[in-house]
Amino acid sequence: MGIDLVLDPAFLQSVPRFLTPILLAALGGAICERAGVFNIALEGFILVGAFCAVLGSYFMGSEWWGAVAAMAGGVGMGLLFAEFSLRRKGDAIVVSIALNLFAAGLTVYLLRTIFGVSGAFRDSGIKGFSGIDIPLLRDIPVLGPLLNGQSILFYFAVFAALALQLFFARHRLGLRLRAAGENPAGLSAGGVDPQRVQLWALVLCGALCGLAGAQLSIANVNLFVENMSAGRGWIAVVAVLLTRGRPLYVLFIAVLFGFVDSLSFRIQGFGLPQQFTDVMPYLATLIALIVLSAWHKSKTA
Amino acid sequence: MQVDLSGVTVRFGTLTAVDNVSLHFSPGEIHAVVGENGAGKSTVMNVLFGLIKPAVGTIAIDGAEMQWRNPQDAIARGLGMVHQHFMLQDSMSVLENIVLCSEPVSNLGFVKFNTARARLREIAETYGIGVNPEKRIADLSVTERQIVEILKVLYRDAALLILDEPTAVLTPQEAASLFQILRNFRASGKSIALITHKLDEVMEIADRVSVMRAGKLISTKPIGETSKAEIARGIIGGELPASLTRATQAVGEVVLAVDGLQARGVGKTVGPVSFDVRRGEIVGIAGISGNGQTQIIEALVGLRATTGGQASLLGHTLRGLDVGARRALGMSYIPADRQRVGLALEAKVSENAAIGREGTKAFRNWLFIKRAAMTSFARELIESYHIKVAGPNARTSSMSGGNKQKLIVGRELSRGTPLIIAENPTWGVDIGAIDFIHRELIRMRDAGHAILLVSTELDEVLALSDRILVLYENQIAGEFAAADADRLAIGELMTSRSKVVQVA
Amino acid sequence: MDIDFRNQLLPCVSVFAWIFGILLVLMFVANAHFGEAISGFLNGAFGGRNLAYLLTTLSRATLIVGMALAVMISFRAGLFNIGGEGQLVIGGLAAALVGVYMPGPGWLVMATGIVAAMAAGGLWAVLAGVMQLYVGVPLLIGSLLLNYPARYLGSYLVGHPFRDVASGLPQTHLVPNEAWLPLFSGTRLDMGILFIALMSVLAVIYCNSTVPGYRARMNGLAPEFARASGLPVKRIVLQSLLMSGAIAGLVGALAVFGLHHRFTDGMLVQPLYAWTGIIAVLLVGMVPWAVPISGFFFAAIQTGAAGMERTADVPKEIGLIMQAVIILFVAGRISGVSLAGKSGENDNGH
Repeated sequence: MGIDLVLDPAFLQSVPRFLTPILLAALGGAICERAGVFNIALEGFILVGAFCAVLGSYFMGSEWWGAVAAMAGGVGMGLLFAEFSLRRKGDAIVVSIALNLFAAGLTVYLLRTIFGVSGAFRDSGIKGFSGIDIPLLRDIPVLGPLLNGQSILFYFAVFAALALQLFFARHRLGLRLRAAGENPAGLSAGGVDPQRVQLWALVLCGALCGLAGAQLSIANVNLFVENMSAGRGWIAVVAVLLTRGRPLYVLFIAVLFGFVDSLSFRIQGFGLPQQFTDVMPYLATLIALIVLSAWHKSKTA
Repeated sequence: MQVDLSGVTVRFGTLTAVDNVSLHFSPGEIHAVVGENGAGKSTVMNVLFGLIKPAVGTIAIDGAEMQWRNPQDAIARGLGMVHQHFMLQDSMSVLENIVLCSEPVSNLGFVKFNTARARLREIAETYGIGVNPEKRIADLSVTERQIVEILKVLYRDAALLILDEPTAVLTPQEAASLFQILRNFRASGKSIALITHKLDEVMEIADRVSVMRAGKLISTKPIGETSKAEIARGIIGGELPASLTRATQAVGEVVLAVDGLQARGVGKTVGPVSFDVRRGEIVGIAGISGNGQTQIIEALVGLRATTGGQASLLGHTLRGLDVGARRALGMSYIPADRQRVGLALEAKVSENAAIGREGTKAFRNWLFIKRAAMTSFARELIESYHIKVAGPNARTSSMSGGNKQKLIVGRELSRGTPLIIAENPTWGVDIGAIDFIHRELIRMRDAGHAILLVSTELDEVLALSDRILVLYENQIAGEFAAADADRLAIGELMTSRSKVVQVA
Repeated sequence: MDIDFRNQLLPCVSVFAWIFGILLVLMFVANAHFGEAISGFLNGAFGGRNLAYLLTTLSRATLIVGMALAVMISFRAGLFNIGGEGQLVIGGLAAALVGVYMPGPGWLVMATGIVAAMAAGGLWAVLAGVMQLYVGVPLLIGSLLLNYPARYLGSYLVGHPFRDVASGLPQTHLVPNEAWLPLFSGTRLDMGILFIALMSVLAVIYCNSTVPGYRARMNGLAPEFARASGLPVKRIVLQSLLMSGAIAGLVGALAVFGLHHRFTDGMLVQPLYAWTGIIAVLLVGMVPWAVPISGFFFAAIQTGAAGMERTADVPKEIGLIMQAVIILFVAGRISGVSLAGKSGENDNGH
């Protein structure tokens, strides 16, 4: 163990695979957070995205269609959230809980009706994203194995984090999103409907979470498993909470969680029971939450 | 630009908030619209601005009838509104706030901040007002925020400015400089609609005054053809309540002693402050909101940790005591925010009335609560404090603001504790309720209770207090005895002498 | 009358139409015969030979109502404890370990098991409360994240040190026969339902008629009000969570002593008892007396869906989808609660 393990190319390769879904989902969550939409249904958004990715990829025969379908599925969830939370004035927490259950039920239901299988669907017809080899990047030590040869979705996720930072600071919609989250009455007074702005936030969030699902089902592997999101949506929620929706901090936290995830995956080989490694990401999240909350409390109490 | 509202009626459910009101606004004129809280002034202005659709009635600009779908339409036609509550984004810069909702953008939707900055500079030069565009709203004083709101309207080229209670948060001096700005606007040919309930302001600056009461327009007259007394009668539909009388009385022992108290505030420490409140006196704390009042009150009540100094109640130190223990020791508290802190709106009136008493013998039988006792207690409060409500089991949210406030005042004063802390006890309620609450506070004072009154309404502090402390930037800036309290001198101490605003 | 119809009845009708429409679409997707599916549903929820399926529904309702009561206690106090699953698992685990390894007469083993389960579940919930009060971790997230350690701890314990290796599954040995909850004679329904019936009555009394119940309610409706009025807020939080977690632990114990007689990995997680409990409470807006009815309703949807799968080949997940859809449609109508600390701003000034 120790430094050798951390510098092991196989380990480094796995880090982006773990962090990408969390990063994409957390960026989506960050947009909602900044826009004042308390969306804790990321888990459900990702799950639907993962399923739709397989659906699109399998039937259209291309991973790109898989990604498009995943985004469409995520956006669909976003629109449902908007319909029930914004238009019908449902409490965001209630709507989130319901949508998470809805996603869990719907994906299994469709898995069984469309593909006629239970548990998992794997088929050679599912086309997945493969790694992109970037010659210049490849040869840099440590960073090379870490960053090179990942799926396009990883590079997109990192780009999205940086772009989002600029978007919030300088884009019209970004500005309005922040206003919707801070003082929506100010938007109404200026003639802009805050709910419309929040609808956009949910659409963007849905698309990003859809891609997070695509990374799980057609980039990390080429299959769909029931409840495939497995708590990553909640980890993303924590990442949003800890960073208050600041994109660059989200990127940082996602990298941190990615390391812990792949570390725990890695040490499975050292004879520890699987449950210990399975629980590590959640414990890490909990510890991060405790440490940062305590720090924040000591600053403001 | 001539703007006409004709025959406007607004209904909320079964309530008619505005009933057949017509108003006319001309260029180069300041038109004041006055009335009590709830008289419908703000509702009329929201109609004019496109925030509310009237059930009946029309808006016309230069004779052409307009249909507003939303405020954007009204803004496009040259209307601008400065709302009673600031509509600013605290975490954003001045510039971001000013462009928000009318951003100049490039093709991809990115905001052209440089264009906006140049335009803002131009406006600032034209009218002689300006604020550093890069500053965050959170770091601005109340006056500066007011200026930002006005700049926002000017940025959109408004020809009619609607100002809803613009001086509510200003000191007399600041109000005077605001009026100077308004006079400049008038001179440059803009129309100004000034919503207010302060008659002195109306007499000072308005050219024309419209009086509203209970949703109806009572009169519209040029200022020269009316008088302060006539307007006042129009507002309340009768004579003003007799002015308050306070017999001077000898004060007793110290009830609350505050010694070098410090608490954490927004960004910096509040205090140290030292003062005491004795039996039989009302000590008023004046100051513009945000100068540390909330923190000091919360620290005294036990809602906020103190970071230094100490306070004692009847000689017992308050250190380490929680809210419940302090109240048991002899403290009552009328909070500023009746909607969230003063009441549980979704609970019954009786449940709100009994809060804090549920542990006492009268209301508790072993584990069980005595519902009957709660109901009859609530009924007593309703009677003795003249609270208008369907009954003890009515939902609290069904009451009007004034009656909610009376319920809180009744609940707290009926405890009969030696110390009463009242924070903006009459904020946003009608004249009847204001008068009633003021008289109750004076009655408690006469009965020998110690009262600490915090109010951002300088008139309220002046009317009730035996001694006045002025709070400025988290410190006590001065103290006055009631006899030699002077509005302007107090206003001077309350004023944030900021360098950022330059008024020509 | 006219306005009443348009404001009250019409939306209700439209909601039912929507829900029914979604149901039809789902069945269409599954290519199911509608009549068969419905009769399968009704039979699965309320029928069966000697009403066997109805008894299954009751058995499931026992656990769901129990979880719903647990959730209600904390929700009414304004505490978003969505970690019922963890509290349930920890409770079930404690019950099973006591049940399998404690010597002594059956009744004593069971009683000890139940007490241990309630204590374990209660403490697990209090942990989330402590994290909120003293560290500042929002209860909503803190309680949820504690589900995972509980789940994996259970999984590890029954997979390794306490595994019944011979059974081939990750599960404990069986609890001895004498410590099982007795069945109602002639049926396969155990007496756990009596515990939950009693709990329901106690919960109604607690919420409506006791001083702690009143205080908790005030804290739930307006936390700042409760604090400024001098209510013992920390005690309210910890007390409510302790009760809430203890009931969840009890449910775990009932599942062990009544239904499964051992702890099998995933047996309390997979059926989504905790989440169903949450939505059962939300459906009726936290009105205490209605919670058992609501819990039974959702239990019937689940067993009915299983019946549908048997007769009409519609995947039983249709039940889960419909539960979620129902909650989505009532989400806007859930009133009388201040979820997430929102309060109505409807001061009309005069």
